[in-house]
Amino acid sequence: MRKIFGTLLLAIGSAAAAQQPAATVIAVPPLTSPDSGDKGNQMLAVGWNVTQAIEADLRQTAEVMPLKPNRDDYYSYPEVTAPTFSKWRSVGAKALVTGFVQGRSDGRLTVGCYVYDVDKGRELARKGFIIGANDWRRAAHKCSGLAYTAITGAPGIFDTRITYVAESGAGEARTRRIAVMDSDGQNHRYLTAGDAMVLTPRLAPNASQLAYVSFAGGRPAIRIIDLGSGQERPLVPSDAISFAPRYSPDGSRIVFSMMLGANSDIYVVGANGGQPQRLTTAPGVDTDPSFSPDGGKIVFESDRSGSQQLYVMNADGSGERRISFGGGWYAAPQWSPDGQWIAFTRRGQDGRRIGIMKADGTDERALTAGPGDDGASWAASSREILYERTGANGRNGLYRVALDGSQPRPLATPQDGSDPDWSGVMD
Amino acid sequence: MRKKLFALALLLGATAAEAQLPGLRRRGPAQPQQPLLQGIDALRAEFAAQSGGTTIYYGGGSVALAPTARPTLALQAAWLRRHPEAVVRVEGYGDGQDTRDHALAAGAARAEEVRSYLVLLGVPAAQVSTTSWGKERPGLGRAVTVLVR
Repeated sequence: MRKIFGTLLLAIGSAAAAQQPAATVIAVPPLTSPDSGDKGNQMLAVGWNVTQAIEADLRQTAEVMPLKPNRDDYYSYPEVTAPTFSKWRSVGAKALVTGFVQGRSDGRLTVGCYVYDVDKGRELARKGFIIGANDWRRAAHKCSGLAYTAITGAPGIFDTRITYVAESGAGEARTRRIAVMDSDGQNHRYLTAGDAMVLTPRLAPNASQLAYVSFAGGRPAIRIIDLGSGQERPLVPSDAISFAPRYSPDGSRIVFSMMLGANSDIYVVGANGGQPQRLTTAPGVDTDPSFSPDGGKIVFESDRSGSQQLYVMNADGSGERRISFGGGWYAAPQWSPDGQWIAFTRRGQDGRRIGIMKADGTDERALTAGPGDDGASWAASSREILYERTGANGRNGLYRVALDGSQPRPLATPQDGSDPDWSGVMD
Repeated sequence: MRKKLFALALLLGATAAEAQLPGLRRRGPAQPQQPLLQGIDALRAEFAAQSGGTTIYYGGGSVALAPTARPTLALQAAWLRRHPEAVVRVEGYGDGQDTRDHALAAGAARAEEVRSYLVLLGVPAAQVSTTSWGKERPGLGRAVTVLVR
């Protein structure tokens, strides 16, 4: 019997592998420059940095596979707008991203970025950016996003930020700090000192501010940090226990949970303050609210039926309706940025795993095998999910999984990590 | 024998006389009331011993008090009524297998159940606060009454 079950699992595994679509191969030749002489060499050096960053960006994705760029492979300026498609076909590329870096008289740089369909021999997209001399990495992220969107039709995930809880030590002595970094791991920094326990940081859609739960006052309460100024304040002035914050898609509101006696309900408040408005009143635990991308609806979890299940309501609290009906418990939902899916943690006898279902509750799929997965957060592309996995040794790490059925991959962090949250594309 | 008794009576008389003297002689303000002599650790030990335990366990994801918790809470309440100067914080814990935010809410609800029951038994509400550690500290789902002052 056990043997049959094992064989069945194997068969399911290979069927999933067979379904996995091939990634689009994209050529990323070195960015060139119209400038000449010393300046030209400087611009080519910047261009090489940008090229490597584009390759690294695209290599993170499940859908696009960059060819390794070669610095000696000089790419002429006229070729930017008139590529030799036969050359790229011969190396197996289906797409091409190329461009140039040009110095400006004010010391800044112009970066031009072009994306082509190699098979059809036509341009898919182009975009130019004027940037500070040291901001080449952001130009690379914008360029990667242009290529990714041209190929997949989904928003790029490169000019985004990730926040999470960095953990060191174990058990009672574990210290936790809020960390934030660019989605490629650059510009990593800690926002809290580690003297108080912290949980669930959540970025505003444009990554300008961040909400998190702090135990600094003795009880868990939501605080807001402005990432530009570093200023911090409590979300609500009361000393009530508050948790599970999430921003509205336009960044103007925060929806969260607050305890009133033994009852946890969902509230909404302006991201810059104001009087919280109560949205649910059912007895029991209502928590983990998340807005739909149009801001008109909220998905949340409630144990009002006796077990944790997912519900959708209008943003004013009316029209509550249950959407999860499988066995076990459903928790921690987040609405995808494209509005199609709801990611969640499903809890059963075999542990916790990440899954998705359509916003109406149909077409449920498991994305991870568990048993210690939680905290799903969507990429801006709606094609990937970042989550935390607790290992058998009790240590936490961050993983990303694509919707195409491919295997989850670890996301490197300097320390153990939990509670990841992925921002939208920055302005 | 008689000599001995006489000596004892003398001694007692002297002691009694001595004992009255300070009160008769004293001038100025009265001595302040003796502060709590016990340290917080000793007081915690006494609270734990006389209340039959500081921890209430919750089974199977429930946040409702089990009937078996009531005798312990009755003893906690009796001790707290005898010690109005003491302040406690009830710390709730969720279950390790739960999701993070539900565990936080469940811990808070468990702490609140204990607090409500203590208040029902006559403990002044101001003497009892609550918090939740969710699933962030290991161990079973529980609520622990911690003496903080």
